[in-house]
Amino acid sequence: MAALLDDALRDVIDRLDVGVFVLNRELEVLFWNSFMVANSGKSVSEVIGRKLPELFPELPELWLRKKVDTVFVLKNRSFTAWEQRPYLFRFQHNRPVTGGVEHMYQNCTFIPCRKDDGEVDTVAVTLQDVTDLAMAHRALEIARDRLEESSRVDGLTGLFNRNYWERCLAGEFKRSRRSGSQFALIMFDLDHFKPINDTYGHLAGDEVLRAVGQCLRELIRETDIAGRYGGEEFGVIAPDCDVDGACGLAERIRTEIEGLSVLFEGLPIHVTASLGVAPYSASIDSHEVLIAHADEAMYRSKNEGRNRFSVYVSV
Amino acid sequence: MSDTIQLSADQCDCLQEVVNVAMGQAGDSLARLLGVFVTLSVPKIEIVAPADVHRIMEGKYVSVARQAFQDGKGKHGLRGEALVVFGDSSFRELAELLHYDDQDMGCVAEQELLLDISNVLNGACLTRIAEQLGEELFYSPPSILGQGERIAQMLERDNLHWESALSVEINYKLENRSFDCDLLLLMPDSAISHLAGKLDQILEDL
Repeated sequence: MAALLDDALRDVIDRLDVGVFVLNRELEVLFWNSFMVANSGKSVSEVIGRKLPELFPELPELWLRKKVDTVFVLKNRSFTAWEQRPYLFRFQHNRPVTGGVEHMYQNCTFIPCRKDDGEVDTVAVTLQDVTDLAMAHRALEIARDRLEESSRVDGLTGLFNRNYWERCLAGEFKRSRRSGSQFALIMFDLDHFKPINDTYGHLAGDEVLRAVGQCLRELIRETDIAGRYGGEEFGVIAPDCDVDGACGLAERIRTEIEGLSVLFEGLPIHVTASLGVAPYSASIDSHEVLIAHADEAMYRSKNEGRNRFSVYVSV
Repeated sequence: MSDTIQLSADQCDCLQEVVNVAMGQAGDSLARLLGVFVTLSVPKIEIVAPADVHRIMEGKYVSVARQAFQDGKGKHGLRGEALVVFGDSSFRELAELLHYDDQDMGCVAEQELLLDISNVLNGACLTRIAEQLGEELFYSPPSILGQGERIAQMLERDNLHWESALSVEINYKLENRSFDCDLLLLMPDSAISHLAGKLDQILEDL
């Protein structure tokens, strides 16, 4: 009766859709269920009595020995999870057609098996195929990254939106305050933008904003941070940049925008910008004050005839 | 301090003794496993309320691995969560001891190392506490609770659904290595009552 039950149990374990195998202290295989046979391509007679690292040279042998030793010494379960170690055996996944993965993701548990006297002489290992879980998790991560991206970027211009850009500015401000490094802020506004909207319609205005956004992205250094501050107002944070450098950048922005020819329904639209440059200094209280400085310089450019840049001068 | 559940002075002493013995044995297993001498602190036992969790580890920025344990008797049995709290330890040294290939000591390998060490510490210590209480414990696979955050931040992220919890804090150090971590056993109200009963049995047998 007991033997019958043993056979039945053995049969169940053999047919589980989970990998089950048993090792002794020398890492010799004592049991190998059909899941392992099917996925490894190695039959029971091929593996029984042979050492696991010899059968699968790709296994990290030293690590595996330590892992199994831990189970013997502490008589305690041990685990591997796909998040940290994607697989123990490089098995094929079961998505040969739908694909998207290179191998089967696996969670493994190493279980100490006690004899009647309480000593542990074998370790049973279960191997779960968690490929679908890993795939779902990855899809979620990609979706989250996209969401994060879209929550930072202004859809029309492809520049950072005001919220994110201002957070960057606040961060740069704190960094400079801490390290004493310099940086400059450039704010600019497109000249006579309202008449463009009024004359050609909002779609034309959008086209101009899009072109300015693209022009700005191509112009700035990789470390500069450009954002759309409001309707037709833009800001550029230029880290590690002194007043001269910032003036150079402002002038380049001015000439590039002046040179833009935005085609709308076959007609070219031209636009200019008025810019204000404000360098960071330790005496400035907050990043909001720095924005106010740049704005003030920008309005001076407007008042002095537009299509130019001015530097903030403290009074 | 919560006034709902308290351990008596005798029960506290008894628990202290149980934990001491377990730790000694756990330290011995660890020393054999890692091939280095392990130093353990005197365990700090206290009952905490959810409002007290910010006091745990004094708001230091830490990495934490979490593992649940239970005795299979359901809601009113011995159960809880074991947190292993790592400060700015030298992971490279530890990686060497556990035969991790140091070429791939990236962020993910560091996580696996945290999980492995946690599992070893928990297994070594908890199993021996349980043995003395005449219990057998089952463990969940360990998972990362948070990295580079304050412990209260991690715990408060999920609403805390308990009135009071028993906290057992144990510090581990490896001799001649900069590695240092704390094991924190947290048990909810229902488990404290169960534990108190078990401690009374031990006290009666003395």
